[in-house]
Amino acid sequence: MFTKTHPLKTLPAAMLVAAGAIAATPALADDFYEGKTIEIVVPFGEGGATYVAAKFLEPFLEKHLPGSPRVDVQTRPGGGSILGANWFEQNAEPDGETILFTTSSTSNPYVLGMEAVEYDLAAMRPAYSLPFGAVIYVSPRTGIDSPAGLKEPDMPLIYGGIAAAASDLPTLLAFELLDLDIQTVLGFDGRGPARLSFERGETNIDFQFTPAYMSQVVDMVEAGSAVPIMTGGSVGEDGVLSARDAAFPDYPSVYEVYEELNGEAPSGVEWDAFQSIGAVTFNYGLTAYLPAGTPDEVLEIFEATIAAINDDPEYQQQSQDAVGGYSLLPASEVTESLSEALQPSDEVREHLRTLLSEEYDVDL
Amino acid sequence: MLENITTALAILFEPMRLLALFAGMLAGMVFGMLPGLGGVAAVSILLPFIYLMDSYSGLAMLLGAISVIYTADTITSVLLGAPGSPASAPTAIEGHALAKQGKASLALGVGFLASMVGGLFGALILSVAIPIAGPLVLALGTPELFMFALVGLCFAASMVGKDIVVGLAAACFGILLGVVGAAPAAANYRFIFGQSYLMDGLSLPIVALGLFAVAELIGMVAAGGGIASKSMAMGKWGESFREFWRSRWLIVRSSIIGIFGGFVPAVGASASTWIAYGHAMSSTKDKRRFGKGEIRGVAGAEGANNATVISDLVPTMLFSVPGGPAAAIFLGALFSFGFYPGPRMVSETPDLMYMIVWSVALASVMGAALCFAVTPYLARLTRINFALIAAPLLLIMVAGAYQGTQTFGDILALLVLGVIGWLMKNAGWPRAPVLVGFVLATPMEQYFWLTTQIHGFTWLTRPGVLLIASLIVVPMLLNLVRRWRSSKASTSADQAGSQPASDDDAPRDTAVLLLASALLLVTFAYAFYEMLGFRSNARLMPAVGIVPGLALSVYILGRQLNRLRWQGRIIHLGSRQELPVLAGILAYGVAMWLIGFSLATPLLLAWLLLKCAGMRLASAALYGAIVYATAQGMFALMRLTPPSGIWFSLPMPW
Repeated sequence: MFTKTHPLKTLPAAMLVAAGAIAATPALADDFYEGKTIEIVVPFGEGGATYVAAKFLEPFLEKHLPGSPRVDVQTRPGGGSILGANWFEQNAEPDGETILFTTSSTSNPYVLGMEAVEYDLAAMRPAYSLPFGAVIYVSPRTGIDSPAGLKEPDMPLIYGGIAAAASDLPTLLAFELLDLDIQTVLGFDGRGPARLSFERGETNIDFQFTPAYMSQVVDMVEAGSAVPIMTGGSVGEDGVLSARDAAFPDYPSVYEVYEELNGEAPSGVEWDAFQSIGAVTFNYGLTAYLPAGTPDEVLEIFEATIAAINDDPEYQQQSQDAVGGYSLLPASEVTESLSEALQPSDEVREHLRTLLSEEYDVDL
Repeated sequence: MLENITTALAILFEPMRLLALFAGMLAGMVFGMLPGLGGVAAVSILLPFIYLMDSYSGLAMLLGAISVIYTADTITSVLLGAPGSPASAPTAIEGHALAKQGKASLALGVGFLASMVGGLFGALILSVAIPIAGPLVLALGTPELFMFALVGLCFAASMVGKDIVVGLAAACFGILLGVVGAAPAAANYRFIFGQSYLMDGLSLPIVALGLFAVAELIGMVAAGGGIASKSMAMGKWGESFREFWRSRWLIVRSSIIGIFGGFVPAVGASASTWIAYGHAMSSTKDKRRFGKGEIRGVAGAEGANNATVISDLVPTMLFSVPGGPAAAIFLGALFSFGFYPGPRMVSETPDLMYMIVWSVALASVMGAALCFAVTPYLARLTRINFALIAAPLLLIMVAGAYQGTQTFGDILALLVLGVIGWLMKNAGWPRAPVLVGFVLATPMEQYFWLTTQIHGFTWLTRPGVLLIASLIVVPMLLNLVRRWRSSKASTSADQAGSQPASDDDAPRDTAVLLLASALLLVTFAYAFYEMLGFRSNARLMPAVGIVPGLALSVYILGRQLNRLRWQGRIIHLGSRQELPVLAGILAYGVAMWLIGFSLATPLLLAWLLLKCAGMRLASAALYGAIVYATAQGMFALMRLTPPSGIWFSLPMPW
């Protein structure tokens, strides 16, 4: 599913194009961006994973967008990405020239309904997503060599994370869903320091996103100091977070592990919560949002551009190292499912809020 | 390996790459010299440009900047007395005191050479990253990281000058500033007053700029004339080389301390500099000159901070965990060029690794040489009317601060901290402990909770912990023994020597002192009240700062009131003549908020150049236009839109 692009359904698309043409200044798609500059707002600091991915995509967007615009990655860090997203909500014009490129750090506070959030992410229009898979692995000292082993480790499992309401949320929800007995140590200031702690033997279960897993953990697995167990999974054809991660077809998804441990497919509010947060964190890990009200014409341009980038042999070659080899997901594959994930039922939202405030002492 | 070393040198010696390295060095020198701005500012300004070059040139440019910042900051620290970058506070104390005695060249020379040695040691440890540095980084567990931060804080707090009560209160205040924002151990936001700006806490450049640079600027503009009231005697370089040679082993040991500082993420140069300074103190027999111009203090601090910023690259290259903020940006640059740091990268692309080592080594040596070359010219600048320098300096500070989050919060934070710095300066309170408390509060809290969660209380018996703890305990014991011996053998004459002057020898503005003491008490009292509402896991570290801070501030205020009653009058000193300048700068802040940077700045320039510097209209207009254009150019260079006003904003052509 990673390389496939659905052609836009013709009729509604044509209608929307007409609507867009009225709303925005009419322009030919061929040179829509000629002489323009697209500002990609990254609400994190320079050097972070999101910044790196945005910089990686920059030349490909410049090459394939019609009219060859200049693409300019701007950082607006602060407030755990909330400041940058708020800025975007207040300042970005729906003209396709300003894009918010961000992660679940922006969507989780939105889903949880945190006070500082001033942006309406579900009203924005996703232009494309880059999956950001993750692998959960353990130390060989735990004696665990398969998902089933998670239930009876040789020693208590200790997990190191950053904060419950941040990028650790899907992992913690997976532990909850699988009913694992894991001591959670939060307060690391990044996944890198958490991994160093694993390497030192202070923690014994960890997860890393694909790029860091490729450059750091693969060697540890080869050296026998880490054992990969499962991935967060990816959204399959049916819209469920059940499929295997395209970058790691050999490792089962959380969904499969649940099936193996419990003999039935996961369901209920715990699964819905994991799926909602997990889909946004992994499958739509890095998503480019256009402001609400962006005309369909712009989205169509991106739809075609993303397909062209995915077909670009240079992208296929370089993305392996840079972002784990994932193809970009065009809006047609993202919009519906992401919108669902961003607006979970009240029951799921309540479950998340209760879990965070009771188990992890989060002040929402 | 030898082959790789020479290939790497050949890679670097392409004219374009050398030029890039040199350009980076120049940028690093400028940013090192601007008070308060350090590596992060320099590297993030260079970042957009590196993508115009090939990967080796781009990286060389960043490395050039990183390697010379802590060399060039010596100049500002010594000549101005305000730390050129946050980790050079000890240099500002000792070096500036030396400069006032007419020994600026001694302080500068030893500072440059010690920085150079520190940089070379950093390069050395990078070149043995895989066999030696990597295992060392992994050997430092969370408890050791905690201890390193703790030792740094202890050293800084115990070396704050003669009034230990005020020094400790300042460190407590620093901790209070440091705990603003999200608590690491519990999802609790502290002291953010509902502002999302404060959720990530205050940023180090803004705290450093506000506390030191703004206050110095106000003082100097108000005093009129140059930075140095009379022509600053530089002295001869020769003595500095001799002194450097005499302190060579101290510098080597400090560089090694600095290297370990680099292995500890987030603690970095701010802790290692103070630890090295403390080491310099404990390894010097005659401690009386510390705080009043001790060259060994400069040697230790400068050797350490440069070694730290280079060895920050070790965890960056081996584990892709940046050792410091500048290294974090360097890591991003590596990723962008398609290098994925890890043991594999280091062993598979040795050319890159040695190119980095060479760049650092070369920039360290050339940077020191360049600093020697430019210093005589810079020393002359200190005699120009400061209001002329103040204008561009203030604009650079605004731009530097605004780079943080590009919201008005940055400007507001800068001004509020500027007022605090100004109050502290005029009250005669040391500001360096505030900075250290601020920097170390977060990592200390974080590492403490991680340590107790992971290890329970068994961590207290780890050999590494005991070893680092001995760094605090042994000098303390030695000191006690020495004092006990001297008190047994001493006469009253010796006591007069060890207690050189009472607190009151420096003229102080009692009005400001009273105000500052009262404000401090109110701040701590409020913080204490607010702290009671925190979750238990989020309360410990604030309590470490607030509880003693409250007690100390009660004592300070009481002591002040008591003295006042005794003296019977309030003395106003220099601060009164500084008030108009303070008001002017605050008015600039308000104007920026209302009508934006682009319109408020001409007003500021007019006021500074015509009123404060007394320039003629024509020359003021010309100079002002140049400064204004440069400031706008700087915003454009950093790809920032200058702060816009809420009433009106000048539309910008870009």
